[in-house]
Amino acid sequence: MANTDRQVNELIKREYEHGFVTEIEAETFEPGLNEDVIRRLSAIKNEPEFMLEWRLKAYRRWLEMDEPNWAHVNFPKVDYNAISYYSAPKKREDMPQSLDEVDPELLKTYEKLGIPLHERAKLAGVAVDAVFDSVSVATTFKEPLEKAGVIFCPISEAVQKYPELVQKYLGSVVPAGDNYFAALNSAVFSDGSFVYIPKGVRCPMELSTYFRINAANTGQFERTLIIADDDSYVSYLEGCTAPMRDENQLHAAVVELVVLDNAQIKYSTVQNWYPGDENGKGGIYNFVTKRAACIGKNSKVSWTQVETGSAITWKYPSCVLRGDNSVGEFYSVALTHNYQQADTGTKMIHLGKNTSSTIISKGISAGRSSNAYRGLVKFGPGAEAARNFTQCDSLLIGDRCAAHTFPYIESQNKTAIVEHEATTSKVSDEQMFLCRQRGIDPEQAVSMIVNGFCKEVFKELPMEFAVEAGKLLEVSLEGSVG
Amino acid sequence: MKPAPTLSSAFLTPTGQSLPQPLLDLRAQRGTALTDMPLPTRKTENWKYSSRYLQLTEALAGTLPAAGKSGSALAVSGYHVVFHNGIMVPEASDYPDVDGIEIKRFADLDDDEARELAERLDNTLDAEAVQLARLNSARFEDGLLIRLAPNAVLDQPLFVISETDAHCSGSAYPRIYLDAGRHSQITVVEEYISHGDEPAMVNAVTEFTLADGAQVTNVRLSAEGENVQHIGATGVRQGAHSRFDSHCVGFGGPMRRHDLQVRLEQSGANCRLNGVVVTQGKQHYDNHTVIEHVAPHCESEETYRNIAADQSHAVFNGRIHIHQDAQKSNANMSNKNLLLSTGAEIDTKPELEIYADDVKCAHGATIGQLDETSIFYLVSRGIDRRNARTLLTMAFINELISQIPVESVRATAQARLNHFIDQTFTEA
Repeated sequence: MANTDRQVNELIKREYEHGFVTEIEAETFEPGLNEDVIRRLSAIKNEPEFMLEWRLKAYRRWLEMDEPNWAHVNFPKVDYNAISYYSAPKKREDMPQSLDEVDPELLKTYEKLGIPLHERAKLAGVAVDAVFDSVSVATTFKEPLEKAGVIFCPISEAVQKYPELVQKYLGSVVPAGDNYFAALNSAVFSDGSFVYIPKGVRCPMELSTYFRINAANTGQFERTLIIADDDSYVSYLEGCTAPMRDENQLHAAVVELVVLDNAQIKYSTVQNWYPGDENGKGGIYNFVTKRAACIGKNSKVSWTQVETGSAITWKYPSCVLRGDNSVGEFYSVALTHNYQQADTGTKMIHLGKNTSSTIISKGISAGRSSNAYRGLVKFGPGAEAARNFTQCDSLLIGDRCAAHTFPYIESQNKTAIVEHEATTSKVSDEQMFLCRQRGIDPEQAVSMIVNGFCKEVFKELPMEFAVEAGKLLEVSLEGSVG
Repeated sequence: MKPAPTLSSAFLTPTGQSLPQPLLDLRAQRGTALTDMPLPTRKTENWKYSSRYLQLTEALAGTLPAAGKSGSALAVSGYHVVFHNGIMVPEASDYPDVDGIEIKRFADLDDDEARELAERLDNTLDAEAVQLARLNSARFEDGLLIRLAPNAVLDQPLFVISETDAHCSGSAYPRIYLDAGRHSQITVVEEYISHGDEPAMVNAVTEFTLADGAQVTNVRLSAEGENVQHIGATGVRQGAHSRFDSHCVGFGGPMRRHDLQVRLEQSGANCRLNGVVVTQGKQHYDNHTVIEHVAPHCESEETYRNIAADQSHAVFNGRIHIHQDAQKSNANMSNKNLLLSTGAEIDTKPELEIYADDVKCAHGATIGQLDETSIFYLVSRGIDRRNARTLLTMAFINELISQIPVESVRATAQARLNHFIDQTFTEA
């Protein structure tokens, strides 16, 4: 195996491909957080009074809360006063109306990331609401969406244009005081996406947002709100890469999905933020609250996530299945390497009759990383004939990594049925031998085996994402075998 | 935020002074450590589902008086030791005095023996995880020490019957420490029963240390009355190629908690944990188990079944922890639950915590009701619905009950389960 080891070591040393910093003049707040910062932030964004009030209320709640410490992760305490809460590309007055007007520096950034924005948009028919730091600077393909009546815009714009929708639904799924990071986000959220699909509309294209964390010391506090009105359908894609940095960057996003009668939202994420270097230095802290409320009858939410980046991932996309016959799905691949830590999973809260949910979680840990699945399946007394199936599998690569499973199962209804199973295994010598015997080199063999392990989840991803996800796994994983 | 309630200091004043000095010292020291111990709340992870049942009122702080008559529900024909409110009753006990097997009450130990024991008590338990069972170490009035010399074999099961006489309010702290030498063998049956109707609390700690090749079978029957809260902890440490078999049968009560912690410390150690819990009315039962695979090449097999009827509440939390060097570990956990009524609640959390890669670990958990197609199958063959449900429910737990190696305990458990089922399936 000496030869393999060498190859392995070479591959392990491969550095993060997307690490670079774009130099763009940015208007950035002094680090620190207090009510004045929030007032300033709100004023810059020209927000109506109710938004400012809402932010301040969230901030006051946040001050009273303690940072949670139950997750299976270790990290130095975050100094919330060392973070700058606003950073925007400076040329605000002449915000580009089309791609041609976009700052060429920015476009280059996207190109370096391997995402030729306009080409990709044209070829794949994807409208991209690109978030560069905190202000959305380019929005494409608005016309066909407008024709269909779909609203897809930065949330800061939605606050101005559709205040009644924002006021009605913002915080309805994740209340401002829901948890420590949600409260922080509610107080200082910078920007994000707003989607409204009107009654009976099937969104003509897949909506996509590329996040990018730039400018050192800027916490990003994305806020996404998607509302699918009766009988509508939308598929939303979220993908992330971030430049290489030594200091930890905090990312506390909130995503709220509201699903009304017979509507369906499919939310897919590929997350590849900077995970820190091989010694565990640097990397993004990804503390996200994602939740969907299936309010309507026969509504459906499907979360699919591929998590390969971030130094620490702390994320539980959840479904509150309130409407009768509503369906929640969660498909996840979480990969950790080096010193990465992931504590991720889902919550399926069954309240309505005949609600059903499926959880498929695949955790892969390599190096000295730690990967935990934490999930809750709860049946309320009214969850007649509700059904859940959960499967969490872990794959360990190397003898210094860790894999954990913490499933909480609570049932209060006798007609509800829940099944949970979990297994842990490693890439076996037999599998490797079989592949190598057939002339497949070790890293390809591991990649094949891992891809097979994740297949159940990948097949749930939209095609473009499935390709990207496969590539990501290859980069992050190949050669971790030893 | 208001501060969490703490343990009343009344609980930290032991009464009896009949123990040898080293044990009295130990008890005082453990008591001091518990001063102002916060009581578990809903936010305390390992008491999340059970803290609301806990009623540690001052009335329970006093030690229940030792005295009175004793008699067991078991038809005990073999060796037995009787504890009455946590104090051993030699007159009611009958145990062998043979070479290699030493059975002694704590109160009878000489200073050297007591000093040795004091050093070893509590070594099998993770104090953090069994916070309330630590109270036992601060309060025990007596205890049973069992020591097996290498190769010693006890030919019959030893019954340890802990009776709680709740004619007045108070608490009792029975305690067992077993040290099994190399290749020794023993079966210990613990039975917890009660008389009287006043509110009472039993806080029982049992510890087993298994040297290389030792084989210990432990049957634990928890069947106190509706007025008795039970907090129990069992700690096990296993040497190389030792085997520990546990069979826990629990009947619900106002508050029932059992922590079972097994450490597989040297390679080849092997444990099997079986558990059955039934709850009805407004009863509660909470089982927490931890299996630590510390050394490589160990095996564990865990099967727990719960049945909750009426408005009762059953909780299971099982954790398998594979340490970094415990390669080639093999661990299996299965937890199946029957929820018989919509007013009832079952919460389960089968956890895996794994730090080694070459291991085989799996767990499975289900919660559901009796399978309609199975009922239909039986009904279509002329069995009425009620009997069909009874049969299927019995089958659900009998798989585990039938593995209990002691005939008389099987019979007792069976009779009580029949009674449970009669009460639960009243309608057709």
